[in-house]
Amino acid sequence: MIARLSDRPSGTVAPIDPSPLLGDWINYDTTTRNIASLTISRRSEDVLLRIDDWGETTALPFSLTTAGGEAGAFRAAYHFGFARIAILAYLNKRLLVVDAYTTFHDDSGRSNYFARDHFWMR
Amino acid sequence: MRYVRAEDRLPNGDAAPGGRVDPSLMLGTWFATDKQSAGVVKVELSEREGAFVVRAFGAGSPDPIDWGEVPAIAYARSVDSGEGMAVSAVFDFGFEESLLAAYSKGGILVLDTFNTFKDGSGRSAYFSREFFHR
Repeated sequence: MIARLSDRPSGTVAPIDPSPLLGDWINYDTTTRNIASLTISRRSEDVLLRIDDWGETTALPFSLTTAGGEAGAFRAAYHFGFARIAILAYLNKRLLVVDAYTTFHDDSGRSNYFARDHFWMR
Repeated sequence: MRYVRAEDRLPNGDAAPGGRVDPSLMLGTWFATDKQSAGVVKVELSEREGAFVVRAFGAGSPDPIDWGEVPAIAYARSVDSGEGMAVSAVFDFGFEESLLAAYSKGGILVLDTFNTFKDGSGRSAYFSREFFHR
């Protein structure tokens, strides 16, 4: 079954290789009010995202087609009780583009918000 | 007020906007700029009885595949803005889950999809990035 033509299976499928994502990533914007740096690592079969002070969470890598191969993106989520932050990121050549979609679940009246940052690998 | 980064904090002296993000500026029918797209070809953002919803259509042959309508979340540019400029939604097809996340900028909607198969078909989870105009 497909929901769009790009869902069609390819002849052979390779496991997703997270290698292009792994490492320490530093925000180009040294004055950012968002995420300053992050680390993506592999532990056994899991890919893990670590953000300073936020801790570690599982990251799900994505390839660019149904054929698998090298990862070109990942998604992860942090749940802080008062807020949830979806981290959605993709590689653009050697640049990691990280979008944070934040929803608040307290009574602070703050707006859910979107923030984007660009990272280079140390 | 709890926060995990400076951007979560309201600017000094500012009152919270109330928590509602108005998606008005994003509403409408958005068409893929790539007419040969094999991914999402059309996105409809609308409000129904006060709820923000998204309907999407995937590329199909001979006709686009109607994904139906699901609830959406609107996002502002900051905690103190009530003006929506981004959206997320999840489509669960049973055999596949697609997370849609998009932001609007300069009259263009930039859509990322994170697609995971649940049917044991062996297809790889994959990401796509597409551009839309109204």
